[in-house]
Amino acid sequence: MGSSRPLTDEQKKALAVLAERMDGKLRTHLNACVRCGLCDESCHYYLRYRDARYIPTNKVEQIARVYRRHYTVLGRLIPKWVGARDLDQETIDEMIDVVFGGCTMCGRCAIHCSVGVDIPFLVATARSMLAELGLVPKGLQSTVDAAIRTGNNMAIPREELVDTLQWLDEDLKMETSDETASIPLDAVGKRVLYTLNPREPKFFPLSISAMAKIYHAAGESWTLSTHCYDVTNYAYFSGDRRAAAELTERLCNEVKKLGAKTLVLAECGHGSRAIRWEGPGWIEKAYPFEVLTVIELVAGYIRDGRIALDPTKNTKRITLHDPCNLARGGGVIEEQRYVLKKTCVDFVEMTPNRADNFCCGGGGGQLSMGEYRDRRVEAGEIKAEQIRKTGAKIVATPCHNCIDQLMELNLVYNLGVEVKTVCEIVAEALVPR
Amino acid sequence: MSVESWILLASFAASAAAAAYYCLKVIFSPRTGDPAESRGDIARAVAYSFTGAMSPLKKESARRHVPTYALGLLLHGGVFLAAAWVLVFFFGIRVPLAIATLSVPVLAVTSLSGMILLLKRITRRKLRYFSTPDDYFSNILVVGFQALALATLINVELIPALMIYASALLLYIPLGKLRHAIYFPLARVYLGLFFGKRGVWGSRKSEKWEVQDR
Repeated sequence: MGSSRPLTDEQKKALAVLAERMDGKLRTHLNACVRCGLCDESCHYYLRYRDARYIPTNKVEQIARVYRRHYTVLGRLIPKWVGARDLDQETIDEMIDVVFGGCTMCGRCAIHCSVGVDIPFLVATARSMLAELGLVPKGLQSTVDAAIRTGNNMAIPREELVDTLQWLDEDLKMETSDETASIPLDAVGKRVLYTLNPREPKFFPLSISAMAKIYHAAGESWTLSTHCYDVTNYAYFSGDRRAAAELTERLCNEVKKLGAKTLVLAECGHGSRAIRWEGPGWIEKAYPFEVLTVIELVAGYIRDGRIALDPTKNTKRITLHDPCNLARGGGVIEEQRYVLKKTCVDFVEMTPNRADNFCCGGGGGQLSMGEYRDRRVEAGEIKAEQIRKTGAKIVATPCHNCIDQLMELNLVYNLGVEVKTVCEIVAEALVPR
Repeated sequence: MSVESWILLASFAASAAAAAYYCLKVIFSPRTGDPAESRGDIARAVAYSFTGAMSPLKKESARRHVPTYALGLLLHGGVFLAAAWVLVFFFGIRVPLAIATLSVPVLAVTSLSGMILLLKRITRRKLRYFSTPDDYFSNILVVGFQALALATLINVELIPALMIYASALLLYIPLGKLRHAIYFPLARVYLGLFFGKRGVWGSRKSEKWEVQDR
């Protein structure tokens, strides 16, 4: 009854990942799901497709059924009775499609699960098993590889980055009419080491300008590293914990090398979560410096009167998209509202919002997985309709990943909005003292 | 003590030992460290995980499925009521007739709730998609338990049968999906720890960042 084919060496490696990760938390969540299916409508994939494959319960099942096969009495003896499955090719193929292609690990289902199963945590573990088998979708894997090989996920050569930043530095001096305004590079002993999402120097340099203006206005002591600056950590999404730890360690060493007191994470949802919350676990030690998201930093500047703002400079209606990993997965929820309410005259919430907000569809590494592009855009319809209902002209979000997805949704669903980072909006409202 | 009482006692001991084993495995598993600096009130969040976070006001899955949520609550309430009657019969506790009389319609409602949930699992394609034989069996097992408790309240000669049935139920709990009874509170604790540490639950930050309406 319970016999199975001998495991291949590769399958043994994937199961070893499960065994290695088998702490109390994993054991609990693998055993807690009752398959009630009430989580169905918490998932934007299910809402869009009404396909049972995307019900979060089924995402739990991708790994829980393998667990039951190897770790429970009935799963070993009569697997079909408890729906236990061997890690065979059919199981693996389905697992890839569901945990990589049908989930952004946004965590909305965990909040609304009847029992309290941490579903994205299980999906992340399933992804790690697949990573061990070398089955991470190509686009996502190459993003991780680029970060490991070149120090940033877009493989931007250092010279190109320095050129861009020097041009932005000159621009900043002109815009502020202040020769002392600058974008300090690799400066030692500054209070703040600021990170970047490589999309910024590559495609959105004005978001770096915006932040430089804010730092200048606040009189901050800050610097950028041209060696190690990437706030993203796609290994969190690929499930490759060794690579995730390596990227975290590098950033940690850069902060120490430059002697900064605070590492400030750029507007990037998953990067903020990965570095601030997951990173210490990956490198198995607490950081010897403070870590803040840029949203918390800017909210502090406003509250402490370090920057002056004129909200009438932003008259268009603005709504906010909460990046899942920053809000639900990182607790930065009220700060961005505080910042936006201080910088514009017409702020409107989406419904639902905050920790209940729907994923834009671009998270979980989806933007780098071309294999699932159509699914990503179609599942984004839920977010598009949320935006449309607000009547907003500008969608603000403190995440460059979300920006990319929202810009695509804007075109596909004809929303007629502008998509901006929160700091870009702050920079527009800055007034000289 | 009767034979069925001994069987019940032995089953309870076995089930409790299994539950303790599961809990100890969770507690004493090698820990994955989480050295990230906390930004929230973890104790408050864990408390919230068991209270406010379970309310239909906060839990969309409950809010959007009120009938199913209510049926689930009734089913689980019925399990505890039936178990209470097993204890009453086991210890020979004298209980006012009114309570026994009141328990009959209550158990009828809770059993019916369980049957409706079973029917739902059978008829809804999306639920069948990931349901296992264990899901149907577990549902039948707990509904049968409540129905038998109800019958026993009407006819006390069924007490031995109820004891044996309860023994079977106790023995099955650690084996199939019913072991969620053991893991449910642990899952709520872990969820509270997760959201509490990050300041998503149990945080008073909203006051700190409040903006007066212009």
